[in-house]
Amino acid sequence: MKKKQGRQLIELAVNGEAYELAEEPQVTLLEVLRNDLELTGTKESCGTGECGACTVLIDGEPVLSCLTLALDCRDLDILTIEGLAKGGDLTHVQEIFLERGAVQCGFCTPGVVLATTALLKATSRPTDYEIKKALEGHLCRCTGYNKIVEAIDKVLTDGYLVNE
Amino acid sequence: MSELDYVGKRILRKDGPDKITGRAKYTMDMRLPGMLVGRILRSPCPHARILNIDTSRAEKLPGVKAVITANDTLGIKHAFVETPRYPPDQYALAANRVRYVGEEVAAVAAIDPYVAEEALHLIQVDYEEMPAVFDPIEAMRQDAPEIHPTHPKVKEPFKNIGGKTYSGWGDVETGFAQSDYMREDRFESHLRTHGYLETQVALASFEPAGKLNIWTSSQGPFIKREKLARTLGLPLSAVRVQMAYVGGAFGGKVDLYAHEFCAALLSMKAGLPVKIAATREEVFAAYRHGQPLIVEIKTGVKKDGTLLAQQIRVINNCGAYRGTGVVVIFLAWGFVMLPYRLPNLKYEGYAVYTNNPPRTAQRGHGAPQLRFALDSQLDMIAEELGMDPVEIRLKNARQPGEQLPNGDNVHNCGLVECIERAAEHTGFREKHLQNRSVGTTLDPLRRGIGIAVSSYHSGSLIYPNSSSAVVKMNDDGTLTLMTGAMDIGQGAETILSQIVAEEVQVPVDKIEVIAADTETTPVDIGSWISGNTYVTGNAAREAASVVRKKLLDLAAEELEASPEDLVLDNMRVYVAGSPGRALKYRDLFTASIRKRRGDPIIGEGHWRTMQDVPFHPSLATTKGRWSENYAFDAQVAEVEVNTETGMVRLVRAVTAHDCGFPINPLLVEGQIDGQISMALGHAFLEEVIMKDGRTLNPSWLDYHMPCIHNMAVSESIDVITETYDVGRSYRTKEVGEGLVSAILAAIANAIFNAIGVRLYSTPFTPEKILRGLGRIK
Ligand code: FES
Ligand code: FES
Repeated sequence: MKKKQGRQLIELAVNGEAYELAEEPQVTLLEVLRNDLELTGTKESCGTGECGACTVLIDGEPVLSCLTLALDCRDLDILTIEGLAKGGDLTHVQEIFLERGAVQCGFCTPGVVLATTALLKATSRPTDYEIKKALEGHLCRCTGYNKIVEAIDKVLTDGYLVNE
Repeated sequence: MSELDYVGKRILRKDGPDKITGRAKYTMDMRLPGMLVGRILRSPCPHARILNIDTSRAEKLPGVKAVITANDTLGIKHAFVETPRYPPDQYALAANRVRYVGEEVAAVAAIDPYVAEEALHLIQVDYEEMPAVFDPIEAMRQDAPEIHPTHPKVKEPFKNIGGKTYSGWGDVETGFAQSDYMREDRFESHLRTHGYLETQVALASFEPAGKLNIWTSSQGPFIKREKLARTLGLPLSAVRVQMAYVGGAFGGKVDLYAHEFCAALLSMKAGLPVKIAATREEVFAAYRHGQPLIVEIKTGVKKDGTLLAQQIRVINNCGAYRGTGVVVIFLAWGFVMLPYRLPNLKYEGYAVYTNNPPRTAQRGHGAPQLRFALDSQLDMIAEELGMDPVEIRLKNARQPGEQLPNGDNVHNCGLVECIERAAEHTGFREKHLQNRSVGTTLDPLRRGIGIAVSSYHSGSLIYPNSSSAVVKMNDDGTLTLMTGAMDIGQGAETILSQIVAEEVQVPVDKIEVIAADTETTPVDIGSWISGNTYVTGNAAREAASVVRKKLLDLAAEELEASPEDLVLDNMRVYVAGSPGRALKYRDLFTASIRKRRGDPIIGEGHWRTMQDVPFHPSLATTKGRWSENYAFDAQVAEVEVNTETGMVRLVRAVTAHDCGFPINPLLVEGQIDGQISMALGHAFLEEVIMKDGRTLNPSWLDYHMPCIHNMAVSESIDVITETYDVGRSYRTKEVGEGLVSAILAAIANAIFNAIGVRLYSTPFTPEKILRGLGRIK
């Protein structure tokens, strides 16, 4: 049984905005994003690190926000799905995901798109195996992953590099 | 076929931009001011009397706003099926007795999750444990503990029978007497969960004036409204069920669930909105999964492979309450009737109560279990007769125009073409022969190929068995479609918009959809009996054609031309041959207001699965029409079996399917891929493991849903048997459920082709393979 403890002030940088919050020490980044910042694009499907739905990028690296304490995110650069499309323009990865039918119910989508974005930024020519490694922690029940992989292949054949 | 602009095109899903940017709001994401967190207290016992519940300490805990038990309810039972034969058998909150681990006993609403959790610990429940039974065969024995009395119409000396379906035609004894070859086999399937990523969740807000607003992650709001209103004792019109985006369902979110009832009742008691979200562990351990069936088949055939007679018994371990347990034993009969001609059948199905959680529909609702059994046995028969698996299927496959024993018709059934094209595409015959001849090589990796078929209904007569839709034009010439249909990820809103777009020639992105709200949208069949494209689609088409007709009428007047000479195109009407004589829809809208006494160009349309049939078919006897529309498919699996480790890999899955015509090929492919993946999980990976009514693996980590490393190569072939013509009703067929079935049997048959081992139960584990090979005992 978790008990309430004293709140602490933290500053979080999410999608380029600075937020000042008072949080209890046991609160996860996922809870802060969803409940306090109302950034509900980050999903929870297990809360125990087993599905990837809650993935956000911290300093460009995919991180499971359900296993990350908010207080540990001071001074880090957090990117959620809401911060990906700048000024309403979809990124190339987002566009191709839609074009290839890689989205059905959409519940896994934010996590998968962010993980893909991070992969393509870190590795401009990932191998099939590297793609699968990068997405192995993401469950998707709807697509069977086929159209997700197809979309990523298409992004690669377009020769698109993910660097802003 | 006329030129089509929207139907049949790979149009991108309408909800894509919302979903890909994180803007899409699911029920899980919804909040209301003052919202409380609800939690549910569940039974730790598989079978027990409740002696006393003391909630006083929980009620006194600061931050707790409401606590409910059965005493706070009206004590009205509910069930998925509610008929005179099958009266409701379950309370929304357990009264006096619990019958499975996880059954809902009490619920609390509090200011935050920590307080709610602590309150649950403060509720004291005294149980007196009773003997429990988990295996259906044991539960049927006379000396088994009684979970519910056996249904009075069941004459056999069995215990705990919740329901029975008895059906048949012809005379099986004569059929067996005429048979050259007979065999009897028994197949078993196992427990799997749906795997929706958004857990079950509901948000209820009761207004002081007496209105209950509820948002719930579901497959259609109308059945929820009916059951909520009745169990809560509210007038139907006082309950408004609305949708948000749904994070997957697959059959698991149809029926009324206790969290929905409890959220509503807690909100009524606390006077504040209440949200209850199940944890993943709760979904695994206490919610409804699919239905493991035991299928016993005796089959007689002629020397040439013609099926003559089948005697079939299906036993469903249906859990502590009926759920859809009596539906699946009805449907199982249908999956025997459908793809192959069968002159004589004797069928009996039993739904057996056990002290497991109740079960529910799961994509395919019995078809995977039945097709696994029937198509495995058909291959065994072919093997005995020295026939090719393709030949024996072609011999028995239903042909276009055939009437089924229940009076339905298969119309333009494309099954033969599906079998032929799937076989041809994969080089089936050669590979099948060749794989068998490599039996002596030392290579531990063996290839196998297998084929099977299935058929699935597209909409059926069950509440609510009709759909209606409204299409209204806006001042600027765009459209709004109002439909009770629910997009659960399959793309319902996109498909319906394509149909409306085609009829009225307004682009899909100029059509706004208002969906699944019991108050503002018309009744709908719901996204759970594969009737969306056919039933709701035809309703939307009719509504759109009213709008089309009004536009043509008015334009004929305004342009001084006859309606036949007018062409609708991209939100304008012009006279054929002289595109300059044209009017924009927005101008016609104004003209309609002016000249038609304010008519704002609204169309209504409705459709029903079967126009003239008053009732749904009997669950007890199967009598009565079932569906107007059956989809057919043949699926081929190629596998690689490692004879040293017993591991099997699905190398390739090919689906040739007759879905009538694909309204959106991109979405159809998505459905096929998803079903192949689900079947792969069924075949090799997934199992909810239970012991004495307790779930041993209630997490994603221990329940192995396919991950990206388990992706299967999935190819598909469209066998198009129907057309779409503007202004005419159409018959298209389902594509979202039936394709989880044949592939399962195809995999089993492919394993046999590879290593000569026949599997009688799912999942196909390395242990079973190695045991079959004689490598382990
Ligand atoms: S919610 Fe974080 S991994 Fe599932
Ligand atoms: S799209 Fe539904 S889980 Fe991935």
